[in-house]
Amino acid sequence: MRESILIFSFFITIISSVSGQGLGSPGTLQDDGRFAASTKQMNQFFRRFNGEESIDGTARFYPGDSLYQNGNLRKGFVSILFDNQTSSISSSLKSDFISTLLSATYPQYLVFHKPGWLAEVDAVFLYKGKRENVTFIMKIQPEGLGYEWVIDQVIFDPFKNLFNKPIGVSKDFLHPLSHELGFMNMRRAFQDSESPESFTPTTYNPDYLAIFLYEMKQNNLKFETVLGVKFHFFQIGGWYFEVNQFNRPGYNTGWLISNLMRLGPGDKETLMRYIYDQD
Amino acid sequence: MKNYIVFFLAIFLATTSVAFSQDNISPKRKQAIDSLALEKVKDLSKYISIIGNKETQFSEANRVMDRAEELFATGAEMGVSSINTNEIAYYKVRRYFERLMALNYDKVNITWYDIQYVSDLERQPDGRYVGVITVYQRFEGTSIETGMNYKDTTKKDITIYVEKKQTQIAGRTIEFWDVMLGDVRVTETSA
Repeated sequence: MRESILIFSFFITIISSVSGQGLGSPGTLQDDGRFAASTKQMNQFFRRFNGEESIDGTARFYPGDSLYQNGNLRKGFVSILFDNQTSSISSSLKSDFISTLLSATYPQYLVFHKPGWLAEVDAVFLYKGKRENVTFIMKIQPEGLGYEWVIDQVIFDPFKNLFNKPIGVSKDFLHPLSHELGFMNMRRAFQDSESPESFTPTTYNPDYLAIFLYEMKQNNLKFETVLGVKFHFFQIGGWYFEVNQFNRPGYNTGWLISNLMRLGPGDKETLMRYIYDQD
Repeated sequence: MKNYIVFFLAIFLATTSVAFSQDNISPKRKQAIDSLALEKVKDLSKYISIIGNKETQFSEANRVMDRAEELFATGAEMGVSSINTNEIAYYKVRRYFERLMALNYDKVNITWYDIQYVSDLERQPDGRYVGVITVYQRFEGTSIETGMNYKDTTKKDITIYVEKKQTQIAGRTIEFWDVMLGDVRVTETSA
């Protein structure tokens, strides 16, 4: 209940402070507060999460400004950064998360240029004449004089089905004295076998991104469109959260936290494997 | 164009008193660049309203399209999606304006909300800075024959490129920050 009052009062403040902005041309429509309340860009998500802008978003706070990363401002902002309509994040979990962020001894913030956050982009490509969904895992890296987004992994079902490597007694193999025959039996791997991946080490993992790039270069893959984007965050110690865009009526819209998890030992690695689709 | 150069110089002169390194953008300079970028976005919004207006003569609309195109960096695209489909349809800027002009309504009214959001500026590998300005547009089209009245509100996320340039004035080399618009993401909202 206290949380609702806090959020409501935060919105009222936002709504009452939006007039006077705008493109300035005659006939400008007045926002009723919904667009002001919406987390319109990921940039705004970062600023609100860290308490680095004014409530109406018109002023950016910098180190040295009195309200820069102010605890109360942050608390108000982070409370409205959760998807409150479709996600089922419990109040107690949110409360614990906010306490972690606002810890008096070790407050934690998001940092745009640091590792620990990823973009997951769903796109559509034409592959051999058929529309296929492709998921890219993207990360930010320094390059040249600045930064860039790069593709860290590609998840593409037609490739995954190519590598169903058998294991154990049923798999094809090159027997352990093959070297004595000058590997003449390699014929089994490259001519007779339908799954040449059987002859790779136990640790072998196909590099789907390399194959994807190769197919692009061969003009077998053609970009069609982007369907959606979401973000994964591991920057807050002991926590994982996911950020999605919510385009719907009301005040709880834009880029919001749709999933929040407390991480135990090994959980981060498990989640990363899941995100990178290595399971 | 002349007006822009004067404006750039005004911004340059207004911020020369602030100490900053060659390649970093101080908060004060950032504010000046934001103002310049918002001027360009205002121009774009004005041009879109004129191009979409059914009372605008064909020749005038074409002239305004030329002006609007000049705001953009080469190759900029509009990526449009609707409530019904998340798929992005891509249009070259000129094509987008032409489609807007050719919309089959007798009356079109394009207005803008009194809110915008300006991101931080991030440096790219090539040294230029990039930012995004978000604005909201209300579209209303009426067809007299069918009596159809179509309305939508779109969010426009507009890329801005910021680059330090030089010009010679009275034998002196003066540096200024130039702003160009880039790709625009147009998303229909539920508002």
